[in-house]
Amino acid sequence: MTNAGEAGASAGVAGREYPAVAFVIDADRVAAFARAIGTDLADGVPPTFAAVYSLGATAPQLFGDEDAAVDFARLLHAEQEFEWKRHPKIGETVSSRGRVASDISRRGMRFVSFETETTGVGGDEVCRSRALFVIRA
Amino acid sequence: MKQTVTFTNEQIAAYAAASGDLNPIHLDDDFARSVGLPGRIAHGMLLMGIAGTVAARAAGGGARLTRLQCRFAGMVVPGDAVTFAAEPAEAGRLDVSAANQRGEPVLTKSAAEYR
Repeated sequence: MTNAGEAGASAGVAGREYPAVAFVIDADRVAAFARAIGTDLADGVPPTFAAVYSLGATAPQLFGDEDAAVDFARLLHAEQEFEWKRHPKIGETVSSRGRVASDISRRGMRFVSFETETTGVGGDEVCRSRALFVIRA
Repeated sequence: MKQTVTFTNEQIAAYAAASGDLNPIHLDDDFARSVGLPGRIAHGMLLMGIAGTVAARAAGGGARLTRLQCRFAGMVVPGDAVTFAAEPAEAGRLDVSAANQRGEPVLTKSAAEYR
């Protein structure tokens, strides 16, 4: 467990927000992703490509945040939810903004809830991602 | 709708490259053991990706999915044969689950919604 996790009364980095990250929905990247999950590209951008354009675009900001002190090697992804208003198109640029919804340490385990909101160029909502990370002691 | 997938090092590595999640717990057995895991494990998001593929088929296409939620209840290692299922619940909703070759749950409390 990290020092940040041992800080007792500390709420860790709950409420912390990270700057928006732009991401281009690249055809080659989508094709490689679709192959890896065994889906047909003819069906459009796989919904769970949100793991890349939404969660994947923003989680590195949390993992690289020294104040958050997340031990990446001891991190397990416990739960994940995506909600879509629509699915992005190939070639589209989306913007994703991550925030730490909660950060709780108990019995040597740390539970970090990380939420990301992804919007299109015009600001319309595309996807919401909610990840629950557990960092083992 | 059901689909069984036998996981390989190659598939996990392909997902790592495609997703950009290069955490060595998914790529390096020695490293994974050094942090208390049985060896390299599949990404939870790879499991969710396959569950999403099965749910999309059950929903009549990925474009129709409006929500997907997964709880990662068990680790998957190369060689595991995991059966993913997406079964109709109430209208517009699918119950999603996955279990390994021993019947141990891999995804629990998982669901999809579609329109």
